[in-house]
Amino acid sequence: MTAARVRAAFTDAGVTGRLHAVDLDQPDREVSVGADDPVVLASVFKVPLVVSLHHSTHDLTRRITLGQDRSTGPTGVGGMLDPVTMSLRDLAYLAITVSDNAAADALMDLVGTDDVNRTLRDLHLTRTVVVHRARDFMRTMAEDAAPAELPAALTDPVVLSRLRALNPDHTNRGTARDLTTVLRHIWQHDDCAPIRHTMARQVWPHRLASGFPFDDVRVAGKTGTLPTIRNEVGVVEYPDGGRYAVAVFTRSASTAFTLPQADAVIGTAARLAVEHLR
Amino acid sequence: MDLLRHLRYFLAVAEELHFGRAAARLHMSQPPLSQSIQRLERELGVRLLDRDARHVALTDAGRRILTEARGLLAGEDRLRALAERFRHGEAGSLRAGVPPDLGGRAVAALLPAFRRRSPVELKLREIGTAEQLRALADRSLDVGVLRFPFDVSWLSLGPVLTSPLGVLLPRDHPLTAAPDVRLADLNGLALVLFPRATAPALHDEVLTTCARHGYTPAEVHQAGNPEFALGLVLAGGAVALHDGVAPPADAVWRPLRGTPLLWRTSAAWPRGRQTPAVTAFADAVTEVLTAQGMRHAEGTLPRYPRPAAEYLS
Repeated sequence: MTAARVRAAFTDAGVTGRLHAVDLDQPDREVSVGADDPVVLASVFKVPLVVSLHHSTHDLTRRITLGQDRSTGPTGVGGMLDPVTMSLRDLAYLAITVSDNAAADALMDLVGTDDVNRTLRDLHLTRTVVVHRARDFMRTMAEDAAPAELPAALTDPVVLSRLRALNPDHTNRGTARDLTTVLRHIWQHDDCAPIRHTMARQVWPHRLASGFPFDDVRVAGKTGTLPTIRNEVGVVEYPDGGRYAVAVFTRSASTAFTLPQADAVIGTAARLAVEHLR
Repeated sequence: MDLLRHLRYFLAVAEELHFGRAAARLHMSQPPLSQSIQRLERELGVRLLDRDARHVALTDAGRRILTEARGLLAGEDRLRALAERFRHGEAGSLRAGVPPDLGGRAVAALLPAFRRRSPVELKLREIGTAEQLRALADRSLDVGVLRFPFDVSWLSLGPVLTSPLGVLLPRDHPLTAAPDVRLADLNGLALVLFPRATAPALHDEVLTTCARHGYTPAEVHQAGNPEFALGLVLAGGAVALHDGVAPPADAVWRPLRGTPLLWRTSAAWPRGRQTPAVTAFADAVTEVLTAQGMRHAEGTLPRYPRPAAEYLS
């Protein structure tokens, strides 16, 4: 019943979607819509990255300098012009709160994909794999789109049908169920307390949080975005102690960059699932 | 056991009645051929051949089984030949979907255009984009003709063709005085559009484009039937979108200035499932729709992704 309503909400918003929602304190209570289908993580890969960082021996107060050859992006250090020196934990803060590609890739260069994947295997997650950094899947998009030019080419459906970055076989991938397992780990493990704090400070209001417009409900999350792909994974906490991990991965039919309804349905679908679990 | 292979060896021995000559004909040496016959006899539980130092002869069982073996092997040959023809796209049928609003003339042209390109039988079904996507996913359709937008991540696409949209107006409407109409001029008129549930993404895209060009209709009538849409236009106070191909005689069709609204259409099939028949169908669709006035998509608008896009700076 709930699954059918979630599917109908996805269809009505012009997207196909996968969702997994689980009660953090009663993990046998769950809602699943394609929860085991392979999906493209996009910037959601930054969540397992910071988990791996917090379990590593790196001193998180150590400061490193990001020079001008760093990765680029529209937000955070990725959008700045000059060299930046910052602690590892502040880089993690920017990677999560504003999806800073430069900060995330600098951390990935330190931690390495092998360690991130080892962290995932320690959680018995075999279908979630991180194979490259933000700058690497950005590079494949430019290569695959050529000779068409970015960003306009990224609204051309023929170009999108050939992008490796949108194919789970060729980029960072996972499943909705795997990602709620990562969230459960973050909400249970003491090492990960700073990640809980940081995810609750994510700036974007348009996806998961939009489904819970209640001042007394906390939403902590991390988005992921690529052409036609809109994702968010997060935890919703009610004042009565109810805590729910939700992972939503969508693909829109429309190739437009700006699709408020496709963003909002992530919140709507999550609320339908959480209402069922409560 | 690979029964057919052993039967083929048995056939050679039975026809030659000599292991050496049979082995030569099969381009193999004699010991494995003898072993093969022994294995076949063990598998079937009967002796097929009487052999001594100088002679090989069929047993009664061997003679009868030889007849059956010939039938089986001929069947295998036919099966492999048929598979080969399918592989080269020369046999079988192609299940193709076309949208209900493609128009009778286009459908009539599509069949001969396909037949010129492929000997395969074409089975056409008239179904909308959403249903075609479901049918392509569950493999009950081989190829479709789809109207954008739809999730292309698992599909391969033929050329994208566009047809610019205009509006249907009542005969006596003042806007019919000009050769074309600006979207912004339509303010005050309701918009007649296909039901949102049939294609939510396209429905929203049309309304967003209207808004971008200064037209935010106060009311959107959802009409599934072109006659009903026409009725609402003729009653006054509403416009309907139309591609201008054979517009209804009671109304007046005018193009939109700057062609802000386009239907975009292409053939599509599941990635990795392209056969020569699929290619022939995609080419036929392109030929027919181009002849009908549709054009290859060209040019893109400037695009300004916002920071929430996360990946473009």
